[in-house]
Amino acid sequence: MPASLQSSGEFPAGLRVLVVDDDVTTLKIIEQMSLRCHYQVTTCSEATVALKILRERKGCFDVVLSDVHMPDMDGYKLLEHVGLEMDLPVIMMSVDDRTSTVMKGIRHGACDFFIKPVRMEELRNIWQHVARKILNENKEHDNSGSIEDNDRNTQGNDDNDNTSSVAGATKGIVKEQKKRSNLKDEDVELENDDPSASKKPRVVWSVELHQQFVSAVNQLGLDKAVPKRILEMMNVPGLTRENVASHLQKFRLYLKRLSVVAHQQNGMLNTVHGTIESKLAATGRYDIQALAGSGHVSPETLAALQAELLGHPATNIMPTVDRTALMHASVQGTKHSLADDHAVACGQPLVKYPSNIVNNFPQSILKVDDSSSIYGAWPPSSTLGSVSSGRLGVQNNNTLVDILQHQQQHQHQQKQQQSQIHDQNRSINVQPSCLVVPAQSSNTFQAVNSVASVNKDCSFSRNAIIDYSQSSQKSSNSSSSSQYPGGETRATSISPQISSFSVGSRNNNIQQIQNSTLTFGAARPLPGLLPLTLRQVPYDIKSSDSLDEVCLRNLGFVGKGTCIPSFENKIQSSANDFSQMKVFMASNGNTVKEELEEEPSLIRYPNASQPVLQNYPSHDHSSAFT
Amino acid sequence: MLGLGADLLWADMNRLLAFLFHQGVLDEQFLQLQQLQDHTSPNFVSEVVNIYFHESEKLLTNLRSLLMEREFSDYKKIEIHLNQFIGSSSSIGAKRVTSICIAFRAASEQDNRAGCLRALEMLEHEYCYLKNKLHELFQIEQQRALAAGVRYPMQQHQ
Repeated sequence: MPASLQSSGEFPAGLRVLVVDDDVTTLKIIEQMSLRCHYQVTTCSEATVALKILRERKGCFDVVLSDVHMPDMDGYKLLEHVGLEMDLPVIMMSVDDRTSTVMKGIRHGACDFFIKPVRMEELRNIWQHVARKILNENKEHDNSGSIEDNDRNTQGNDDNDNTSSVAGATKGIVKEQKKRSNLKDEDVELENDDPSASKKPRVVWSVELHQQFVSAVNQLGLDKAVPKRILEMMNVPGLTRENVASHLQKFRLYLKRLSVVAHQQNGMLNTVHGTIESKLAATGRYDIQALAGSGHVSPETLAALQAELLGHPATNIMPTVDRTALMHASVQGTKHSLADDHAVACGQPLVKYPSNIVNNFPQSILKVDDSSSIYGAWPPSSTLGSVSSGRLGVQNNNTLVDILQHQQQHQHQQKQQQSQIHDQNRSINVQPSCLVVPAQSSNTFQAVNSVASVNKDCSFSRNAIIDYSQSSQKSSNSSSSSQYPGGETRATSISPQISSFSVGSRNNNIQQIQNSTLTFGAARPLPGLLPLTLRQVPYDIKSSDSLDEVCLRNLGFVGKGTCIPSFENKIQSSANDFSQMKVFMASNGNTVKEELEEEPSLIRYPNASQPVLQNYPSHDHSSAFT
Repeated sequence: MLGLGADLLWADMNRLLAFLFHQGVLDEQFLQLQQLQDHTSPNFVSEVVNIYFHESEKLLTNLRSLLMEREFSDYKKIEIHLNQFIGSSSSIGAKRVTSICIAFRAASEQDNRAGCLRALEMLEHEYCYLKNKLHELFQIEQQRALAAGVRYPMQQHQ
């Protein structure tokens, strides 16, 4: 906290400002203006020198005012360094008033953007950024709560009220975009051509890393944990404040969601459960026709789902369904028919599960990172994509979803075998353009290890879904056969491609959270934890010798948190699937990679789904990118 | 008598300023500049403007030499120079120079060399005009300050 604010008899006076501009004239004028505002102003005509000053005299400045175009160092670069190293509010200024320029500044973390000429009125107000930062740091937790509020509002909507939900979701997305600064991303417009090059390494939130993170948060107390402190406590080289900040935000959202779910749990569980059960019972197994007939995927639903895919936490279309219920449903579904029927499910999550459940998928996604948004943006036209729901699960931290995903994937494979590709139309978000690259084909459980590695990298992500869809088209033959409990399965043939997909996504948080769950759960018992526990299932499977044992273990674990009956079959099946699934993100790196990158991605995709874009409030921003 | 002279000079100055505003040579940013001038920095405006002239001439030289190269292709550099020129010009309120710079930048964005050259000539012309007028203004101001300064001790002695 700057000294100036503490001795706040006359707060804005004495604000320590560093002005960086290669244009001496401007520098001189701003200096004079700052003096008029009674700021303590330091001027600097070179960005590199400015950075040096800032590093040497840490804590000696409250706010930085920096030009964008400077010969020795790009203003954005300086901004980035400042944001990462000293957590100071940075105001950019430029004569360039194009939206793209300003947007770039915002995305790099600028707290304000002045169009030159800078006026006295603007300068007189810059103290607000300092004050805001301090206040925000004091109650950062409340901040995340605001999103959650939005969330609750949306929850109030009826299931059918999809449009409004979408609107809510979009609003939320924008909000989140505003909140987060995307420092790592280079300008997307410039980089669309070559995504692989010049990307900074993403931080992979490995289990260990996340544990460190969680213990740091616990030590600090959730309310008082700010990225900077956490970073200090974690003391991990290479980790930036931004990484921690975004992870923290996701973590908080996750916790919040868990607690909300916990509240809902009691009331909702029965209903949903009943519905699903009855449906399942009636049909016994689903076949595609039945599904097609029964399920209507209205455009609204699609839109809603897409919005959900966007990964915005606020999107709870169906408040009533909670994860546990979902879990039950899925489990039961598995029990009843593991095989072909589910393939259908993969294809059309919407159809298969009563609409509420479908919507639920996204709900769990809540904490998802933005990358998911991209998916949402994909044109519905893509085929087979039904798997997307599975993807959703992956995105989610929720184990439930994961499991579902696994199942679906499994089913999907089967589906492929059956060559029921005709479902394609219903598929929601899969982008056709993604290429699946065959990796080493692993039969059944051998893959387990490799999978583990993948998970370690936390690379397992929604992308997987895409891949699947693609693969399904490609793969008609199968190498390995595995029996599914459902028995109905035809010999499960997994095409080599399918069997060895490795997911190359960044989905950083999801996987890691698992461990944290444990720790965290210990700290405060949340019923909502259940999903996390479940989540571990895949991991265990990987590491474990025998799947059955693993399953059992997991079951026990799950039971501890919340009693969910009869997972065995399901888990097993999912395990199988999982083991075989290494999703490999292949070419088409552009799209995928971009998506993976960071949240604001929505904007980048011009071909994004219409509903979402339309709802996207800030047109100016999006227009810049389109 | 001398006080009267100062008042006249003051009126001259205002007339010239009004004229420059009317012509769109200057805008209200220049007034901001004038308001920043106070007893702690009595020559602030002329100091800043002189810095501006100094920088601008460097920029103009660079621009011309860039555009005169036989195989000219570095529009990016032109834009960088122009951005700086726009920044400084707008900061002192040199409105017409700024708008020509913007047109210049647009031409360079389109890789329009002919347009760039035309814009450069206009820019040089406009810059000279601005410089002359501002010098004129400063001269009047100097005389006025002088006149006022002379009057002040005289009043004291009386």
